[in-house]
Amino acid sequence: MKTIILGLDAFDPGIFEKLHEDGRMPNLGKYVAAGNYSHFAVSNPPQSEVSWTSIATGADPGVHGMFDFVHRDPSSYSIIPSLLVTKTNVLGTQFVPPHTARTLFEQATSDGYPATVLWWPATFPARPEIPVQTLPGLGTPDIQGRLGVGAVYSPDRELGDSPFKTAVESLEKQSKDSYRGYLKGPSRETGDGLKEMDLEFQLEIMDQSRAKLTFTKQSLELVVGQWSPIFEVSFKAGFLSSVRGVTRAILTQIEPEPRLYFLPLQIHPLHSTWRYGTQPGFVREAWKGYGPFLTLGWPQDTTALEEGWISDDQFIALCESIIDTRERIFMHYLDKFQEGVLANVFDTLDRVQHMFLHDRPDIVESWYSRLDDLVGRVEERLSKRGKSKPRLLILSDHGFTRFDYKVHLNNWLVENSYLTMRDSAQDKSLSSADWSRSQAYALGLNSLYLNIQGREGQGSVPAGETESLRDKLRQDLLAWKGPDDRPVTQEIYTREEVFHGSNLPNAPDLVVGYSPGYRASAETGLGKWETSNLEANVDHWHADHCIDPNAVPGVIFSNSDLKNYPQPSFRDIPPLAIGKTIEHPDAPTNGPSQSSEEDQETIEERLKGLGYL
Amino acid sequence: MQRMLEAGGIKPLTDEIRAADENNPKGYYEYERVKKLKDDDTGWLNLAQGKSVKIISALLEYLPDEFSYRVLFMQRYMDEILASQNKMLVDRGERTDKVSDEQMAQLYEDHLQKVGAWLEKQNNFRVLYVNYNRLLQDPTEPLAQISKFLDKSVKVDEMAKVIDSNLYHQRKSSTETDYN
Repeated sequence: MKTIILGLDAFDPGIFEKLHEDGRMPNLGKYVAAGNYSHFAVSNPPQSEVSWTSIATGADPGVHGMFDFVHRDPSSYSIIPSLLVTKTNVLGTQFVPPHTARTLFEQATSDGYPATVLWWPATFPARPEIPVQTLPGLGTPDIQGRLGVGAVYSPDRELGDSPFKTAVESLEKQSKDSYRGYLKGPSRETGDGLKEMDLEFQLEIMDQSRAKLTFTKQSLELVVGQWSPIFEVSFKAGFLSSVRGVTRAILTQIEPEPRLYFLPLQIHPLHSTWRYGTQPGFVREAWKGYGPFLTLGWPQDTTALEEGWISDDQFIALCESIIDTRERIFMHYLDKFQEGVLANVFDTLDRVQHMFLHDRPDIVESWYSRLDDLVGRVEERLSKRGKSKPRLLILSDHGFTRFDYKVHLNNWLVENSYLTMRDSAQDKSLSSADWSRSQAYALGLNSLYLNIQGREGQGSVPAGETESLRDKLRQDLLAWKGPDDRPVTQEIYTREEVFHGSNLPNAPDLVVGYSPGYRASAETGLGKWETSNLEANVDHWHADHCIDPNAVPGVIFSNSDLKNYPQPSFRDIPPLAIGKTIEHPDAPTNGPSQSSEEDQETIEERLKGLGYL
Repeated sequence: MQRMLEAGGIKPLTDEIRAADENNPKGYYEYERVKKLKDDDTGWLNLAQGKSVKIISALLEYLPDEFSYRVLFMQRYMDEILASQNKMLVDRGERTDKVSDEQMAQLYEDHLQKVGAWLEKQNNFRVLYVNYNRLLQDPTEPLAQISKFLDKSVKVDEMAKVIDSNLYHQRKSSTETDYN
């Protein structure tokens, strides 16, 4: 077994084919000419964490249990970030793996081969019991255990008055060119309760374009508009203990007053409170030999760009440094690769398209070229191996399209009498729902749940009425037209149509396949909404993929075998990569009919009575 | 579905042993030896290559590994299935009161879930789930999916012509208003 999987997150077939026709994809274009390129059927919903997990397991969410960015606790209707699941036990609150379904990587190690997986989504926290070497991708939290926001420091005290996701902190002027600030770290238990740790720093303006950033034990010279190198910070947590993290800083202006931005504080892979990667020696080798690197699951800081703390160019510079570092690490392991599986997800194109697809095709296309170049460099290295060339699979988890309208699905449910608010409701949130008069609610970017008696904490829909209710909801949603007179939804799927496996009871009742141009609002994802059903999207984040999967297929290129897969999908990846499908232990293995003998006999008797047996 | 596929250019494998009746006035499109799959009667599968054959979900697991299969897995509202089956049982002189509809629905749902999970693991099966209710309501999208699934080897227009909503006689009364 010798397989390289090159994951190109969000690589869109439409854009690729246009560039290929223009002769701008010299490396990937060869696969087209050889008949080894195809559109790739991705998971439903086509969200990255769902899709890459489906690819790794060869199974849909009914098997692996990752249905959406956000899940819910049916008893309380509270939200659960599917990538950051915690459990509290005698040891305190710990992160637990977002899924434990068997992956092709685990299968490869069971078969006696090594497996190395770099930046694959939903692989944090590490699972030391499985001998797969990992550096985790999407879903890796910041040093505080959150998805991560940065912090901006300014002497302008009015800056913090506006509602930003980014933390706005004070920069105290001490003298003409000297400022002091406190970098906020994680909290720790003290005798007086939880206390936030912080780290004092000084910022000294050197001239019109440079400043010196000083922490207790280190200094960095910052040039306006340029990112600092990755550096370590250490928060003193007690007499002999500290919490260490990594970040980067950028001085975005000096005049009329300095403004300093820090990326979210990120896990130090060698000093992490949580299990960052496996195996420890592997993580150390990657860090010391080819690091440092950013560890956050979403290190391309789209929030800072959205809120205007960094410019387009600064965002792109950050993206470039991230992909350069990751390529360096990947190439090291590619050079060492002898057998087994080596996989790497390059996810920066996804972030670039979110922010630039709608108005800067030049930027987006340059990133397609960049990835084509990367493929060329991989092939060049593989070509030196002579006859022992490994199988190469290059694939994406979804395509991409515009995002012109934010859909406040819960507001639509309210207006169509599927969801009812309490008379005293103050906010537009599911926490103010009158569940006794509510039939359905939306949480996550594609998930719609019925409020079923006996399942939901305050369920109102009898189990016998769910099918007719789902059908009515489906009809109403499909009939919904937007301001451009196009349907807001392209397809609405029942969970039985798209999910199969032991996790089906946890699945949303309906999966909303939005039409291109429409996507659930961020508020919908969190069970909230605004006053309109549809809100024109004026954000920098103006393109997306969390819609109907048929509208955003991925791509697959392979140096072998693809001709035997006329319509390749995520289910085909384990056979393509390791030559076999994966047995998922929760599902039957020797045949589907593992009901009790009595149940089996009842079914058979019925089928005989009908003349089918 | 068998009639549709036939109209679309895919011949059915049938033996016409089970005659048309009031429940299926256009015939059953069945092949009797399918029922003996469980007894290892698989020699007839050579005759089925390139054709369509109706097989109930409970027998899929007995299909031999040496062939590849494309399965159009028909889905329909459970209460409609049970209503249809109850009528057929009555017409065939069988009892309908041995198992309640509620219990039968649960058994079928468990069974279908397990069949779905099993099919996922089979290298030699490719499956397209076709919603019967949706197909009758608006066949455009389901037919496009079927055509794609069958590598566009069927005549979609001809298939659409033979959809007979008169056969849709067990539609659940509570949902009729949703369709009309």
